[in-house]
Amino acid sequence: MARWVPFPEKQENGVTITHVPSRTAPQVRSTGFVARPGPVLVLIGLGAVAVVALWWRDTSAVVGAAGWLTNAGRITGLLAGYAMAVLIALMARVPALEHGVGTDRLTRWHAMGGRYVVGLMTAHVLSVIWGYAITDGQHVTDEAVTMVVTFPEMWEATAACLLLLGIGAISARAARRRIGYETWYLLHFYTYVAAYLAFGHQLATGAEFAGDRAAQVAWYVLYLGVAALVAWYRLLAPVRLFLRHRLRVAAVTAEAPGVISIQVTGRRLERLRAEPGQFFRWRFLAKGLWWSANPYSLSAPPGAGGLRITVKALGDHSATLAGLRPGTRIFAEGPYGAFTGRLRSRRQVLLIAGGVGITPLRALFESLPGELTLLYRARREADLVFRQELEDIAVARGANLHYSTGPRGPGGPFDAAVLAQVVPGLRDHDVYVCGPAEMTRAAIRALRAAGVPRRHIHHESFEF
Amino acid sequence: MPIRRALLAVLATAVGLVLLLSFKPHDVSQAAQPPAALAQKQSGTTPAQGSTPAQGTTPAQGTTVTGDPADTRWGPVQVAITVSGGKIADVQVLQAPDGNRRDIEINDAALPILTQEALSAQSAQIDTVSGATYTSEGYTRSLQSAIDRAGL
Amino acid sequence: MTIRHVEHVMGTVFSFDVRHEASERITSAIEEAVAWLHHVDALFSTYRPGSPISRLGRGEIVPESCPPEIVRVLARCAQVERDTGGYFTLMPGGRLDPSALVKGWAIEHASALLAAAGARRHSVNGGGDVRLGSSPEPGRPWRVGIADPLRPGTLAAVVSGTGLAVATSGTAERGHHIVDPHTGAPATALASLTLVGYDLTTVDAYATAAFAMGSAAREWVEEQDELEAFAVTSSGAVWRTSGFHRYAQL
Repeated sequence: MARWVPFPEKQENGVTITHVPSRTAPQVRSTGFVARPGPVLVLIGLGAVAVVALWWRDTSAVVGAAGWLTNAGRITGLLAGYAMAVLIALMARVPALEHGVGTDRLTRWHAMGGRYVVGLMTAHVLSVIWGYAITDGQHVTDEAVTMVVTFPEMWEATAACLLLLGIGAISARAARRRIGYETWYLLHFYTYVAAYLAFGHQLATGAEFAGDRAAQVAWYVLYLGVAALVAWYRLLAPVRLFLRHRLRVAAVTAEAPGVISIQVTGRRLERLRAEPGQFFRWRFLAKGLWWSANPYSLSAPPGAGGLRITVKALGDHSATLAGLRPGTRIFAEGPYGAFTGRLRSRRQVLLIAGGVGITPLRALFESLPGELTLLYRARREADLVFRQELEDIAVARGANLHYSTGPRGPGGPFDAAVLAQVVPGLRDHDVYVCGPAEMTRAAIRALRAAGVPRRHIHHESFEF
Repeated sequence: MPIRRALLAVLATAVGLVLLLSFKPHDVSQAAQPPAALAQKQSGTTPAQGSTPAQGTTPAQGTTVTGDPADTRWGPVQVAITVSGGKIADVQVLQAPDGNRRDIEINDAALPILTQEALSAQSAQIDTVSGATYTSEGYTRSLQSAIDRAGL
Repeated sequence: MTIRHVEHVMGTVFSFDVRHEASERITSAIEEAVAWLHHVDALFSTYRPGSPISRLGRGEIVPESCPPEIVRVLARCAQVERDTGGYFTLMPGGRLDPSALVKGWAIEHASALLAAAGARRHSVNGGGDVRLGSSPEPGRPWRVGIADPLRPGTLAAVVSGTGLAVATSGTAERGHHIVDPHTGAPATALASLTLVGYDLTTVDAYATAAFAMGSAAREWVEEQDELEAFAVTSSGAVWRTSGFHRYAQL
């Protein structure tokens, strides 16, 4: 039965552990501006309203079927063009967004928004062609051909449309499974090409931009601004990080069968301002590894020894990591992630880790202030990593530690009543959950059932 | 449930579009305001925005009023009209998109509609008419004969 | 002050509009111009079997024994035929017929007669081909309306100026009588084409040629110096050459 076993094992009539006053690792106080999800959504919404207002201001009447269709086409076109810029900005690895909204949430927004943009674009294309066809008294196919062949920048726009439809098609879950993540990821970069190709026709044929200098300038500012963000944060900042910090592998240790830790050193690492709970995208410059950048969380607070990540051998890549030689240079991007002490507002904190999700929580377990409880679940006892470290921390700061192994069954371990019993005062805790998607879902369900408010449940999941 | 969320998004967008479009007037005459200068012109004599046309030969007598550029799908169109004796005597195109073949086609199709409104033979105050050759019989039905008769 | 005279000749109607006092000299100039038109008609009418041009066409006489006017006109026609790439032809439908040039040429000379007699303020309109003299009244130019071929009784544009020659070629009354000499098929792309220039002989003949060219006319007229065109296509669309705005409004 997969029940929670406390460390150390307490007997009913057993030894009580004296709680040692909490000693925490030095806090890395996050300086720098972060953007919380709520305000960001509001900002995006305001932008959409401004874009629609542009149409409103420029349109004096909507007359007839042609008028309805053409104007519907204009609105959807404007929104699609705006949304493209927003989607690219979300993925530009802007620290304020990464730390404030959180990488996982940004990715989810981007994925949802991407599907919506493809829909908007389709609606735009169909309604504009149809509307124009009615105005010109032409058949839709003739009108479409005329538009593509004679209107300015329309060849490019057509190419952009086809690209987006293609990328939309391969991004469907079924297709992604077939072609593999790496291939999909590379193909997805063609969205940049599509955005670039489509930009021209927006200004050249967009009725709202014709003769309106201010609107044209604003559109340029939007796109150039996003391009600048991408250029800086995705291209230049990582290069600067590489040159400035010179990260390299210091040591590779085995934590458990199939689990290794990599110690990373470099120069002036405190300037990275990495916080416990965050991750980097690591590109190890060694044979077979240099062509992919994988996200791994820090498994310990950044310290004198540098940064530590812990990886479970899940695929080719992680298996090859075991053979890394010390001194290997690393091209890393980060720190990313909002799964940090910043989310905490209560004194009592519960950390729920499942499987490889222990990694960021191991770092938070050491660094978060307050009264901590860590629930660590793995399939088998041998899969529990960091046991010694976790127990040392628990003793040192008087935190509670519970393990759970074995197959899942009814009644636990993620059962509201069980959790409430294991964690007294559960509903007054801030809860951090990290683990496989299904476990995370089960845990959150149980927490909600036990009365923990949603805004005090924090989780990081990268499924999209 | 992703399907339900997708349907919701589609529905919300469709509703939003319909609302936006329905709040606009559906009648061109409702929407189109005469240029302020012209509205004044009909009663008074001082033009609010009198300016001579940018190009062309000596304009017809009267006062010329330049309209604001109007945005079309392909670019701004701006016309100046000359009002004489309370009627439109002349229409001149100051700005018309001509950046590509399509623009030129549009000019060719749209501007004559404007002209027809303005140029009835009387309001144009012409002296003679050029057209395809008429026979003696055809002449009697022609504009030229009306002009000749008026002068004879 | 206006002197108007209408004369039926050459199968059409000529309208004279002279803005001078009806002095002895000017009235006789008008009479002389009218007589000139009848003279041209007698020489060049293809509807009269006995006219020199008809006899020349049948080969009964040779060009050398024709009146000098005919020789001059034939030479001019040959030149125009070269200049228009054959779209103006001296032999439309295989028959000798310089009518497309003769009317303009005749009006040009009539206008010169009036000017020489001091009647410089005049306009002569021969069946739709117009020659303008000096301004009708001080301070304003002549205003020539261009008939809309598709909406009889209305205008498609207005040409204004002085000293201009305006000729319109089209299908309005006589139907598709202008053929493309290269193909033999009627020219159907345009409903009417108006040329504006300074010499009505040229303008009249070139207008016929340009009309026969159809859609190619626009580019061709653009290449000609001092000539501008305005056309109404069969579908009702309108085009003008890039310099037309110098003469006209719309």
